Amino acid sequence: MAEEAKKLIQFKNIVKSFEDGQVVLKGVSLDIYENEFVTLLGPSGCGKTTLLRILGGFLQPTEGKVLFDGEDIVNVPPYKREINTVFQKYALFPHMNVYDNVAFGLTIKKEPKDVIEQKVMRMLRLVNLEDYARRNVTEMSGGQQQRIAIARALVNEPSVLLLDEPLGALDLKLRKEMQHELKSIQQEVGITFVFVTHDQEEALTMSDKIVVMNAGEIQQIGTPTEVYRRPVNEFVANFIGETNIIDGVMVQDDLVVFEDKRFPCNARGFEPNEKVDVVIRPEHLDIVPRGEGMLKGVVKSQLFKGMHYDTVVETRAGTSITVKMQVSQDKPVTNNGEKISASGFLLDVEDAGELTDAKVIALATAEAWDAETEEPVSIKTVEYDIEPKTGEYSVTFSTAAGTSITVRALVVRENRVESTVYQEEIYAMNFFKKVEDIQESMALDTDLKMWANASAWSLEDENEQVEITDVKYDFDPETIVPGVYDVTFSTEGYEYKVSATRAAEEGSEVGLIFRGEDLHVMKKGGFR
Amino acid sequence: MKQVRSMTYPYVAWISVMIVAPMLLIVLYAFTESGNDVLTFRFTLDNFVRFVTDRVFLAVLWRSLAIALVTTVICVLLGYPVAYAISRLGERANTVLILLITMPTWVNMLVRTYAWMGILQDEGVLNTFLGFFGVGPVPMLHTSFAVTLGMVYNFIPFMILQIHTSLDKLDKNLLNAAADLGADRLHTFLRVTLPLSLPGVVSGVTLVFLPAVSSFFIPKLLGGGQYVLVGNVIESQFLTSGDWNFGSAISLIMAVIIMLSMYVTRKADVSVASAGKE
Repeated sequence: MAEEAKKLIQFKNIVKSFEDGQVVLKGVSLDIYENEFVTLLGPSGCGKTTLLRILGGFLQPTEGKVLFDGEDIVNVPPYKREINTVFQKYALFPHMNVYDNVAFGLTIKKEPKDVIEQKVMRMLRLVNLEDYARRNVTEMSGGQQQRIAIARALVNEPSVLLLDEPLGALDLKLRKEMQHELKSIQQEVGITFVFVTHDQEEALTMSDKIVVMNAGEIQQIGTPTEVYRRPVNEFVANFIGETNIIDGVMVQDDLVVFEDKRFPCNARGFEPNEKVDVVIRPEHLDIVPRGEGMLKGVVKSQLFKGMHYDTVVETRAGTSITVKMQVSQDKPVTNNGEKISASGFLLDVEDAGELTDAKVIALATAEAWDAETEEPVSIKTVEYDIEPKTGEYSVTFSTAAGTSITVRALVVRENRVESTVYQEEIYAMNFFKKVEDIQESMALDTDLKMWANASAWSLEDENEQVEITDVKYDFDPETIVPGVYDVTFSTEGYEYKVSATRAAEEGSEVGLIFRGEDLHVMKKGGFR
Repeated sequence: MKQVRSMTYPYVAWISVMIVAPMLLIVLYAFTESGNDVLTFRFTLDNFVRFVTDRVFLAVLWRSLAIALVTTVICVLLGYPVAYAISRLGERANTVLILLITMPTWVNMLVRTYAWMGILQDEGVLNTFLGFFGVGPVPMLHTSFAVTLGMVYNFIPFMILQIHTSLDKLDKNLLNAAADLGADRLHTFLRVTLPLSLPGVVSGVTLVFLPAVSSFFIPKLLGGGQYVLVGNVIESQFLTSGDWNFGSAISLIMAVIIMLSMYVTRKADVSVASAGKE
């Protein structure tokens, strides 16, 4: 169809930046054909609404051309364009009734009264509102207002109808109904619809063509089946539908390796041994007894969804590391009207040989002060016997008046775990913390990662960070008491989302099967 | 709930003593003869008969209504374009201009009116300026022109603020929608902006007409002795003639006229708001 149809709208390298320097569109080119239902799909802030507003004439592009029927319309004001818009919140005129709202465009064009009436009533019939012509628009429900807005736009017989997230304000059930209604209206009037939404399901249901956008750029243009079955990159695959994306290597045409196994697939045009992303949709995976599986794993969780079970199967565990957290209660010692405080600290073996008093005071954040005036008192002596060997040592700070406090210092080696099987390394350090730091933490997992300096990366490429997805500990942060605690950090293993038809018990060992033709292979981080 | 209600008692008491009681006293005075003592009231309608049968008083009433009406019309005609222009500007310019328009009201109205006397008198700024061109001096003070000018000057900020508020609240998407449906700027204004800002005009009219119809020191200062309005008559009844009963009767008549005009504007407001309902 696309070949024979006429190009109605052409965006040529549209750039839009706002006064504050924000670039919303970074060179967008797009052809829209006659009678097409085109959806601009993307997360909020991707530039889809901006593109629509440029087409409607409410915004001027910073660079680029918009051709309508071959003519540049960038400088044509909105009221002279053969384009009508259904606005996000409908923008119905509150001081007019339903009839007058729909008739607005026609009365501006000064069409004869009887013609206007005919056209308006026909439109109201199309959207099933012919009995409501004399009602005030403010009395109408969201779904009805929506349909009035559509009728108000369509009655002008535009060549293009723009719809800016028109279903966003409706509840789920109404939204589904309106999806079908919109599609049938479009087929009936036979004009181009340009529809903006962030809802991938809406886009898949209604569109002839989906334009997936992100961060001001078009990621992929294609039919719903194309963008779903053959996404071009990770963004599209993740944005449209549930998906599993696995690292793989293309050994040769039609043969991909992932999880150290070879699988046949339909993919050509890659370099030999090129690294790729492999996409498997959850509905293309099924759970079988372990022995029959192409992949083997453990069921991590299962949710019953009516038609199927949303199951997560882990085929390999992540890399993990356990560190010790020394928790101290930092109580100042009082003596002769003086107070002194210090906390335990941690040292790397390499630093333990070259210590000075000042450095130790800083490490322990030791301080002393007058109990009444709160004036600082200097710390006269620091006693320690720290050697450049791993172990536990004690450090004593005292003032001239003899007020003293003793804390522990821990000398450690760098604490790292390497997992060569999966080519990942994770690193973290033992650490000291005060009770109140733990109690006051707003996001304990994140803070623990930071305190332990935990990080993980791929051994193949040192710059490739691996996310630490799991932090485990066995204390209650609210009621923690001084002591030593284990904290475990781990990276995510390989997990597969499966739409399983059969129930499987959590923790049970299972196999996974799929068909080679359901595998989709994408270039790494790729655009087309 | 009960607690909240009991918290309103002081205000109810305040309103009763300071507003309701004086108004009842005015009604009482209007319907009684002068020279009453506290216990014996002689009720009469003479005060009202005197007002409606005296051509001089009726002329004064007519003049007051006419000048208030003219003032209101001028305020709408001058105020609307100003309010519209301000609302089209950016947010910062908006705030500054609105501040500038409100600023004169921080100075006492009496002082500002005295200033106009200086400007308008025969040896004043305006006539001196005209004198350079060999014109005048044109007598301006103590004319209906001076009184109208004083009223417009004093009351127009209320009109501008009311209209500006209603224009400011207007959903900009409605203007986009009108443009989208083929309306150029003029049609968008006539079909969308103007009807939706009418409630602001109506409340502006109320805020200008009411003080204009009952003002007394503007006509006294700028109109001189020649230009007497109802407010001045009431003032002189209370302060000069000492006829509190007749003064109260005129006040009551004015109150009724004001209530009637408020009722009319209210009705207009409602019909504007539901213009779409047929």
